[in-house]
Order: sequence, then structure tokens, then C-alpha cells
Amino acid sequence: MSFQFTPDNKSRLDDLVKKYPNKQAALLPALWMAQRQNGYLSLEVQEHIANELGISPVHVHGVVTFYTMFKQKPVGRFHLQLCRTLSCALCGCEHIVAHLKEKYKLKEGEITPDGRFSLELVECLASCGTGPMMQVNEAYFEGLTIEKVDLLMQKLMKE
Amino acid sequence: MTLVLTNRFNTKDSHTLKVFEESGGYLSIEKIFKMKPEEVTEEVKKSNIRGRGGAGFPAGVKWGFIPKGTGKPVYLAVNSDESEPGTFKDRHLLEKDPHQLIEGIIICSYAIGCHQAYIYIRGEFDLPYRRIQAAVDEAYANKILGKNIFGKGYDLDVVVHRGAGAYICGEETALLESIEGKRGNPRIKPPFPAVVGLFGCPTIINNVETISALPFIINKGADAYKKWGTEKSTGTKLFSVSGHVNKPGVYEVPMGYPLKDFLKNECGGISGTGTLKAVIVGGSSVPVMTAAEAYSVNLDYESLAEKGTMLGSGGMIVMDDSVDMLWALTNLAHFYAHESCGQCTPCREGTGWIGKILERFLREGGTQQDLDLLNELCDSMQGKTICVLADALAMPVQSFIKKFPEDFKRHFKKAAKSAA
Amino acid sequence: MDKVKITIDGQEVEVAKGTNLIEAARAVGINIPHFCYHEGLSPDGNCRMCLVEVEKIPKPVIGCRTGATDGMVVRTNTGAVAKMRRSVMEFLLVNHPLDCPTCDQAGECKLQDYYMQYDRVPVRFKETKVHKNKMVDLGRGVMLDEERCVCCTRCVRFCREIAKKEELYVQQRGNHAMVSAFPGKPLTNHYAGCIADVCPVGAMTSKDFRYKKRVWFLSKTDSICPGCSRGCNITIEHEDKTVYRLKPRKNLDVNKYWMCDFGRYDYVFLNVNRRLKPARQESHSPVDCSYEDASGFLRASLSGLSFSEIAFIASAKESNENITAFADCAKDVFHADDVYYSKNDSLEPEADDILITADKNPNMAHVKKLGLKPVSAISAAVKVVLVQRDLCTADIKHLKDRGITIAALYATSHTIADHLSKTIFPIPTYAEQTGSFTNGDLRVQAFFKAFPPRGEARPVQEYLKDLHSLTVKLKRAG
Repeated sequence: MSFQFTPDNKSRLDDLVKKYPNKQAALLPALWMAQRQNGYLSLEVQEHIANELGISPVHVHGVVTFYTMFKQKPVGRFHLQLCRTLSCALCGCEHIVAHLKEKYKLKEGEITPDGRFSLELVECLASCGTGPMMQVNEAYFEGLTIEKVDLLMQKLMKE
Repeated sequence: MTLVLTNRFNTKDSHTLKVFEESGGYLSIEKIFKMKPEEVTEEVKKSNIRGRGGAGFPAGVKWGFIPKGTGKPVYLAVNSDESEPGTFKDRHLLEKDPHQLIEGIIICSYAIGCHQAYIYIRGEFDLPYRRIQAAVDEAYANKILGKNIFGKGYDLDVVVHRGAGAYICGEETALLESIEGKRGNPRIKPPFPAVVGLFGCPTIINNVETISALPFIINKGADAYKKWGTEKSTGTKLFSVSGHVNKPGVYEVPMGYPLKDFLKNECGGISGTGTLKAVIVGGSSVPVMTAAEAYSVNLDYESLAEKGTMLGSGGMIVMDDSVDMLWALTNLAHFYAHESCGQCTPCREGTGWIGKILERFLREGGTQQDLDLLNELCDSMQGKTICVLADALAMPVQSFIKKFPEDFKRHFKKAAKSAA
Repeated sequence: MDKVKITIDGQEVEVAKGTNLIEAARAVGINIPHFCYHEGLSPDGNCRMCLVEVEKIPKPVIGCRTGATDGMVVRTNTGAVAKMRRSVMEFLLVNHPLDCPTCDQAGECKLQDYYMQYDRVPVRFKETKVHKNKMVDLGRGVMLDEERCVCCTRCVRFCREIAKKEELYVQQRGNHAMVSAFPGKPLTNHYAGCIADVCPVGAMTSKDFRYKKRVWFLSKTDSICPGCSRGCNITIEHEDKTVYRLKPRKNLDVNKYWMCDFGRYDYVFLNVNRRLKPARQESHSPVDCSYEDASGFLRASLSGLSFSEIAFIASAKESNENITAFADCAKDVFHADDVYYSKNDSLEPEADDILITADKNPNMAHVKKLGLKPVSAISAAVKVVLVQRDLCTADIKHLKDRGITIAALYATSHTIADHLSKTIFPIPTYAEQTGSFTNGDLRVQAFFKAFPPRGEARPVQEYLKDLHSLTVKLKRAG
């Protein structure tokens, strides 16, 4: 089954394109929309967007691989993005990483066999004053402690 | 204390139009439409507010670079790509007072003759994005944005454009590339964006904090703004503090405020061991200061320059004396290597190389030759690339090694240690 | 155009205002090294190899994107510039595999050349290199080694700006950045061979040339591509009477820096399937024989014919000189009223708005200038023809339908006309002689002899001289 935007998204894309003087400028928002719909940006999705916007597929691919938040492979239902940069490191983020790896058997860059979780160490998320922190899908969870992580994980495991 | 930017931060629902208008929001609009655009620019020039994104270029002067009569549209791009490690002030402005930013956008747009503004917000920002988008929607619904805003016969559209994970898009020309749907590769300057910017048209790029200060400057006047700060560093500045302090967070203080007082009063003192070792004052790319330097400096452009560092974004990272500076630097090097766009040879290869040397140094020990090489690589990178990302790593590397040599020597291999 | 005076390393030079410093320096014989800059492409400025110092500018500037302004004082010979070049070279080699022995670019690699010119220090990189994909077949004869790529983006710009198909782009970022095509989408543009040409290093190499020859063994001869009426200027690269590759040669008025793939790979006929000896027809197949033998055979087949029964068919694939000689012989010696021509009537490859033209002959212009007529217009009296080079299928059919015999074929290669020709005489290819073509824009362009003719091939003029003595007899008999 080839990728198509849902009718809703398609009309949103049409509106979006009007906000810019050229179609290419709608690339980032279009990719966001596709990723939200499809879970990740497969080559097929990339090509579809290239066609929608009248730009070359290789350009889209270059853009997708440039931005860390664009995923070319599926991630877990809950994608845990733990900040590793200095401020969070000063607050001991490595203990949180170790805990997630040990207790929940998460591996960096991998999805758990049940498809529920994936873990990625990311660079500064501008939450330095409330480190350690992680972004789960879109939402920020700040001021993490081992206890807070356990509570969160339990909640996510039930969802 | 009533300041410039954070007055509504503690008010409930401060992000809504209702609360904003109840507390004096959008008052400056009446005023600007009675002024000529040049007069608005003049007032901003007079306030001497300098760009709060890091470079510190006077905002009004920048606006003045927009060429007249090109027949091309003029764009405003608001830089909300806040990604410099240690910096999280714009996020608070977006979350807590998005209408203040919109008011600032209207002021700037009117001054530069812009009818289409873009707010470029980093992709990771979820709540800030939802807040600013909701505020923009609210503004449209109330004729604050769109056609004939406030019935003044002026059209202004604002689009919130999300990034997708790339520190370099905070560099103003990379930001423009990103809005244009491209990889975030910084452009060669000149031409400067004020002349050839977004979609090839004259463009002003200002930081969220800079734009957010405009309503105050117009409402209360440049002189009121200049009452804060020093002669050359006017106004107030947001500092986002993280690391080893008791009360990390975002604080607005007048320029020229002594860092020592700031750490004690606002930040509640040093946490961890309680003894200060180092402060990175303006985001991770500025040269680090020792405790002695930190305790004798004021928070303004000139005083910090005297200590060989910069105000930057105001992203302050405080480290107590338990911190191994080699470890801290290795962490930062990883960041810059990860974020290099990969265009220019010295940055693409240099940031990665430096990162690998430091990792090895930390893992298995290093030598004086390694330190010499690190310094030399920094020399080879600085000032040799399209943008300053290479410099942004070179500055911490050089300053960390220079100011905390013992933390590196401690990691010398045995043979190297005895030789030293 | 405004002229400005600038000083480069103490030498004053006058150039058009805005001329980039690499070109301005070139004008006074100073070489500013560069990877990403290419005269034929838009400047990018990423490699940083061309950094130079300009008085009154605090930071070093890139030569490729700094325009000359009046009174500018440029220095390329300072210690600081030398250091910058050395460090850029060192950075470029950090993640480079240093695999020169197995690299086809060896001998024409900017990394190799510049290392000797500007670097020459031992490797200081002790860490682990970034590993990327090797031997990525991009299609259309281009092979990519990602590890050797210096991210100069010449290939990206070439595809976008010249071939007008955006098929390559930079992927990833930082030191993982590299050039690639969209996964699973091979190149389709008809100029892909130029990608290997513009690549300053061994990242993009020609699959066709791969592992065939070290370039320093090759001799180079200026030539003209005979593939179509564009007349792209090319260089024949050869050794020991074998052509290894064709490369485009700069001519801003004709092909700039480029050539199409069809022309580029159309060198094989110079090496193989060549007619090396004369031949004569024996029970419907040509058999190699001595020149005397073939020549006697030809005389015999012409004897008893009147001039009006003999016609000459020249070839639009041949040089100005050869076509003229052939036509002159027909008119002056055989008293022909009309001389005919055959041409390559192929429709492939399709013409484009880049270089490829619809006319697949290098010299229709000269054929037209001489007023030669198509084979379809051949006079009713004609019984035999003498053919230069070869015949297209339609012309063969026409001759067959008319019952006309091919008495002689002067050919470079074995062709479909072979088994129809009473005699065949080997002639040299364009690589084996000096001559000229007139291209579609009536530009006369010379090509040069790269090596002596193979086998017993002789210029057509020599054969025609012998025919002259024959006609004396014909005349007497007639």
C-alpha cells in the first residue's frame, strides 16, 4: 500500500503551502505531518512528499537525514529521548540512562521487542535548569530522579 | 521589581490574550501607528538594545540595514531555535508570555516594513510551540494579526515554523535555509540577510528575547529602558542558570549586575560541594571562567569581554569543584561534533577529531602533545569557516585547557606525567 | 565591464570587477589551491582550501567567493596562508582511507597533488576513522566511494546546474556527511560521466575506466567528439594505439567543460572490430587479402563502365579534408555531376537543450557546404558506387532496391555493408589522423592524430590516387 496523506492532512498541506512563497518551504512542516501520520519517514514517504511539493526526492532525503528528529525507521510507541549534554550531565543524567538500560532493558537506538519503548541519547533540549530530563515523544519530563522515572515507566507500561 | 521581560511570568494563564491585555498588553500598538516606521527604528536604536541571541549586535542598527525601495517583500524571522547548551530563556518567554513576543513582532515588522514574519522554533519544543501557535491563532481571531491589524490598515501574517533537530539552525542564515525547506547549512556572508535573506529578500532575524523587549521600549521609551544596565550594555538580560546552584532557573537582571551577587541572591548559592570551580556564562560556546574571574565580573558585554569571555545567550552553567573539567569539555565536544553541519572542512573534520582526542584522553590518559595538538586544531578551525560553530568549540577547548591545566595533567599517562 | 586593479603577491593585475580571486590569481600565473571551486559551476565555498589574506580584512577570505575590488591587496604566499592550507589538507585526510594503491584517481587526485605541494607532514590522527560505504554503484557508469568524498559538492552542483537533474545531494551531517543519490534511484542524467571528471578526489570514479590503467601512462591528444553535430572538444587518452578514455576539453563556445555520456563511451570502435586489412568479396563474404589483390578486384569490377554509371557516396562522419578529397575525386577524376552522401540517421540519443543535438553526424555542415546529395536522389544511370566509411540501413536498402553494386567501401570498422561490397579498404579513425570537422554552428574544429593508423589502414586520399591511374585507362577504353 503506497503512502498517501489522509484527506485531512492533505488539505492541511494545501493550506500550509499557501503560507510560503514557494512549495519547497513547506518541506519541514510536510515531513512533520507525514511522520506524525506514518510514525516514521520511509523512503516511500519521502518520495511522496517530493512529488507533492515538486522537488527532487534526493533533496528531501538530504533534509530528512540532516535533522535528528526525522526518523527513517520506526521508533517505539514511547520514544525516550534523554538529554546527555553538560547541564544534564552535571545533574547525573548518566544514572538515569544506566537505570533505564538495566531495569527496563532498553538499548540505545533500539526498540523493545514489544515495540513499546525506544531510547535515544540526545543533545541539549533547553531544559538545563531542570535536569536530568527527557522528552517522551513530544512531552518533556524534567527534574528526573530514579523514583520519578520508575513512576513514569510504570504509567507508560500500562498505557 | 518590575522589569522588562518577565513581569507576567508568575501570573496565572499569562500566556492567554485575556491576561496579557489585562496587564497592559498590546498598548504599544496605538503608539507605533502614530509614529513613522523610521521613528520606531530610531527609538529602538536609542535604547541601544543589543541582540540577545548571542552575537550582541545592536538591533536598531541591524534594522537600518534593510535597503529601501527594492520592490521586494521584507521578512522578519524570529529566532526561537534556542539550542545552545545551558540556554533555556526563550522557552520561558514562549511558554509564559507569547503575546509579548507577538506584540514585539508587530513593532519590528512595522518598523522594517514587513508583512510576513516567521517564528522559527526548534522542533523539540512542544509546549512552547503549542503556546505560541495558540497565541498566534488567538491574535488572528482578534484582528491582532492578519489583514488590517487593529484596524490600522496594516497587514501582518505570522507563521510558526518548526525546526526538526539541528543546533546549527540557530545560526541566522542556517535558520533561513531551514525555513526554505533545506538542510540547515549556514550561508556565506556577505551578502547579509538584511540585504539578501529569506527567499532572496531583505530579512531581519532577531532573537525571541530581543523582540520581546520591544513592547517595553516603545511603551515606556528608550530612556526608561536605558535606566537599567550600564552605559554600553543597556537594559536587562535573561540568564538561564543550570548546574551546581541551589536555585537553577531563568532570571531577569539589569545588565552590569555582579555575577557574585547573582549567584548568591538569585541562584541561592553554589550547590554540590558548595565551592565554585567554574562558570560558563553565555552558553557553552563562550570561554569558561574560573571562580576567581566569576566572582569579580559583572554581567554586561564589556565586563565579560575584559575577562576574555562573552555574554552570549546568557545560558549560564555553574560547576562546583568536584567537576573534572576534562570530562565536562569532552561532553561539550561531543555536542559540537554532533551538531556540525558538515559543510566546511575544518569544522566537519576538526570538531570530530577534537571530540575523539578528548574521549581517548578521558578514557586512557593523554599527553602534552595531545594538548598541544588540541590547541593547534582550534587555531586551524577558528575564523576559517562559513559560520562560527567551529569557533564555538574552539573557545571552550582553549579556555578549558588554559584555565584548568591541572584537570588535564591529572589525566596524563604515567610516562607523560613523570616527564612533566 | 568595469576593470579594477588588484595586487596579488606583489604583482599587479587588471581584471573585471568582481572576478573571483582564484581566477584573478590565475591570470598572473599564481595558483590558489581549491577543491570545491570549479570554473563551470556556481561557487560554494565549503572546502576552505582557497583561503587567502586580503589587506584590511581581519579574517582570511576564500578566493572562490571574494570578488576583486579596486586596490585590493591579496597575499597567497604568507606563512599564515601556508599554515591554513596545511591544516585544511590535514583535516581532509583525517577520515580519508588513504587507499591510493587501489584508487583510480591516483595521479590526478587533488589530495595527492596538494599533499605534496602544501602539506607534507606525517599523519597525526591517531583515532578511529569514520567508516562509510565503499563501491556504491550510482548508475550510469559512476562508482562512489563515500569514504574518499571530501563533501565539496561539485557533483551535486553539476547535476543540478549542468545536467539539470537534481540527482545527488549531501546526506547526514558533521563528519558523517557524504554525497549520495536517493536510495534505490540510480542516476539518469546523460552527462553522469562528468561527475567523475569534476570530482577532485577518488570518490566518484568511472566504472568504465576502473582498474584499467594508471593515468600517468596515458598520452593525451586534443580531439573533437564525432558523436553529433555539437562537436564537443575532447581529449583522447591512449597508450600503445589503444584508447582508454575520452575526456571533455574546455571550450567555452562549444561544450564548456562537459560532454555527454554517449560521446564519452563511444571510443570502443577505435579499439575493436576494426577493419585492419583490405578485403574482397568471395561467395558472399568478405575475405582479407592484399592491397594489390583488392585493388585489382576493384579495377576489374569498374572496367567497362562509363563515368555516369559510377557514383561516389561520401560520409557525414568523415573530416572536412576527407569528404572534400572524396568529392573532388568524384568530380575531377570521374567527371561526376553529383556526389552523394550517407549519414548516421539514428534518432538516439534524443536531443536536449544541453549539448546533445538531433544530428548524429559530426560533419553534416561540410556535406551541405559541398552540396552533396542524399543516396535517395542517386541518378538512374548509376550501376556501381564507391562508399566512404559506411552506409546507413536506409541507404543500403535503397541501393539494393535499385540493384546498385558497392564496388568499394573505405571503412574504419567491420560494418553491415561489408558483405555487400566487392572490395573493402581500411581507413584510419579520427584518432589516427589529423583533420577537422565543421559543427552545426559552422565552427571548423581541428582534431589531431593520437597514434598511427592501425593495421594497413591508409588515408582515403591514397586510395583515390590509385583510382586516378585507373580512370586514365577507363578514359582510353571509353
